Amino acid sequence: MKLDIQNVSKKYSRNKYGIKGFSITIEKGILGLLGPNGAGKSTLLKMIATVHKPTEGVICLNKKNILKDPNYIRKQLGFLPQDFGVYPNLNAFEFLEYMAAMKGVGGNNLKPKISQLLEGLNLIDVAKKPIGSYSGGMKQRVGIAQVLLNNPKIVIFDEPTVGLDPEERVRFRNLISDLANDCIVILSSHIVSDIDTIADKVAIMKNGTLITHGDQEDIIQNVKEKVFETTIEKYDLAAFKTQQIVVSTYRKNNQLVVRYIANSPVENSIKKTANLEDAYLYLTKTN
Amino acid sequence: MKSLITIIKLDFLQRTRNYNFLITLCACLAIAYTFVPEPNANYSTIRISDYVGFYNSAWFGYVTAIMTSIFLSFIGFYLINSSIKNDLETKVGQMIAATPISNFSYLLSKVISNFLLLLTIVFIIFFMSIILFFLYNDGYTFQVFQFVRPYLIITIPTMFFIACLSVIFEILFQKYSVLQNVLFFFLFSFLAFSSPKNETDFSLDVFGSKIVMYQLEEKVREITNTDKNTNMSIGYVLGNTKKPEKFEFNGINFSLTFILSRFLWMLFGLILVGFSSLFFHRFTLEKKLKSLKKTKIIESKKTIHQINLSKLVTTKTNYSILPLIKTELLLLFRKGKKWLWFVNILGMILLGFLPLETAHQIVLPILWFLQVHRFSDIATKEKTFRIHLFTASSYKPIQRIFTSKIIASFILMLIISSPLIIKYFMNFNFLNALFIISGLTLLVFTAVLFGQISKGKKLFEVVFFLVTYANINGIPYFDYFGAINNDLGNFYTFLIIILLLLSLSFFIKKEIFTKLLN
Repeated sequence: MKLDIQNVSKKYSRNKYGIKGFSITIEKGILGLLGPNGAGKSTLLKMIATVHKPTEGVICLNKKNILKDPNYIRKQLGFLPQDFGVYPNLNAFEFLEYMAAMKGVGGNNLKPKISQLLEGLNLIDVAKKPIGSYSGGMKQRVGIAQVLLNNPKIVIFDEPTVGLDPEERVRFRNLISDLANDCIVILSSHIVSDIDTIADKVAIMKNGTLITHGDQEDIIQNVKEKVFETTIEKYDLAAFKTQQIVVSTYRKNNQLVVRYIANSPVENSIKKTANLEDAYLYLTKTN
Repeated sequence: MKSLITIIKLDFLQRTRNYNFLITLCACLAIAYTFVPEPNANYSTIRISDYVGFYNSAWFGYVTAIMTSIFLSFIGFYLINSSIKNDLETKVGQMIAATPISNFSYLLSKVISNFLLLLTIVFIIFFMSIILFFLYNDGYTFQVFQFVRPYLIITIPTMFFIACLSVIFEILFQKYSVLQNVLFFFLFSFLAFSSPKNETDFSLDVFGSKIVMYQLEEKVREITNTDKNTNMSIGYVLGNTKKPEKFEFNGINFSLTFILSRFLWMLFGLILVGFSSLFFHRFTLEKKLKSLKKTKIIESKKTIHQINLSKLVTTKTNYSILPLIKTELLLLFRKGKKWLWFVNILGMILLGFLPLETAHQIVLPILWFLQVHRFSDIATKEKTFRIHLFTASSYKPIQRIFTSKIIASFILMLIISSPLIIKYFMNFNFLNALFIISGLTLLVFTAVLFGQISKGKKLFEVVFFLVTYANINGIPYFDYFGAINNDLGNFYTFLIIILLLLSLSFFIKKEIFTKLLN
């Protein structure tokens, strides 16, 4: 299973690009797609899901051009868009039956499978209630259930953890890890902690371009030995930010403890172990 | 005051800055074009016995003003009656509820924004009437005052009252748009057909049009030297064979009482809004319902499970569209209030037991009209409910999903009409049965096409209301289901139209998909 994205661009107007010259090869496992809002993550995922068409470039799944034959990927695709809706008058069971029909999934085992999914996502007790009465997190879980209906070989999750509580996030991460044994999982987020615990590979995007991609360790190498922590006065923060890349701050004894990235540390700084969040901030701010 | 003006301005802008409103404006422009018939046209809009006025400024001004007052009241209500509902659905209402704005101020802003929306349409019609004057006029000079006066005194106060009425209906009947639409339909019919006898009664005419009609009739009586009632027609009368005589109409002098009454109508509207603001839900409606349901759901959550992918049963591939049709039907049946099904069943019983002519000409169009909210959004509901990305990434979306929506709507309409169709078949009147089937097919495809073109459901709803109104009043030109004109030639014409609509619908759907892809 191999997804090849070659030199893909999405041009909106003369000088406005959603995606520009994007190339990557994705194989079995989890690819975490990171980038600030407006980086082009959703546009890229929609192009892979055949909802949007690139202006230039080629996307191939197992050497088959999906832009020419979109039904090839659609048959094996599980897609959870960032901003999806539901028919509020249907209950979860009916909605999943509908989604199964859309995907061309049927047979005698369909109902047992829907029950299994609803049970696994802790929705079985409310399966017969209209989805219109569900909370945001419950709707998100219905969205996750529909992804798994057709035993997908390629799974796309666009900001999937929105609305999930911490416990549900953990269960969701476990589920993704399980899924990745057998297929390609692309997981987009602007929350680094959603990615760093599960992604085998990471791709970082900004302004429609790919800044870097590779193993987490390789990406973290970019900031190795460059992350420090120091304590400053509150009113010095603005000036400090103009000189260093500030990752985070928190208050301590009426002062501010600042985690920052720099080639050489300021006075009274402590060196810290670099993580993916540091690398992400460094790369998106310096590129 | 400044913040109120800002709210009104922004509300007006967000409602006019959509494609749907542009389409509505174009449709209004097309309708306005027909208000004063072209000199050789074989229809009339206002005709007193065999007389119409010379095409001077007064005739253009008054005729278009009263036609606008009546028709835009009818159409306009349906165009603007979801301003509060929109705030509720977009959740903006919850934010508004948390601000210090008073109920009356909020509702007043909605009234004024509704009014401005209608006023925009009035302005378009007004300018259209001036253009038409220069195109058709009988050699008379242009007198701007003869245009402005009837619009100021007749049309604008009516529009303001309708703007108030729409807000009042939204407060009283909340989200139940079907109930609002049906009740307004009856209220409009009552107000439009009440006949004032003297000047005091003219002041009670909300549309302000009857005083003009009365004066026109008086003028013709003077010419013909008769005291008898003239045969005045207002609305679209087709196929006038006799060329009308012409008389000179120079406008009317409105009495002070009448002018005052127009202001009083506006004031009355505002007082009603003020009174109904006491009953305004302030967007707590949805919250109450949801909190009740959610409490139940949270209680039912007991054990925590985790999906075990290896234990998931395997399913088969099935590309049949039957499950899709089944769900689409389910969605159609569940839409709207449950009690509407009692009305539907009652209507179906009436279709089966009333004389064929009454059932076909009166009950059937009303019954279809009651289903408008179920299928008016066939083409747009995916986007409304944000399902479109699922659809677009599914297997053969146009051939399977779009087709299933159309088939489901067709089945619903067929079930609704079935008692009459069966009755016709039992009487061996196959043509009438086929006419009904072609009529309902035409409706479904029109809903699809209008939805695709306007990207909303309002255009179809408004046109359907107008057509139903025309059907119930027995206007043959609008008979698309063989209630009056049931000859074979007509049937073939409708079949061709259906085929055209079918091709267009699929063509546009394909274009929409291509656009989404690009």
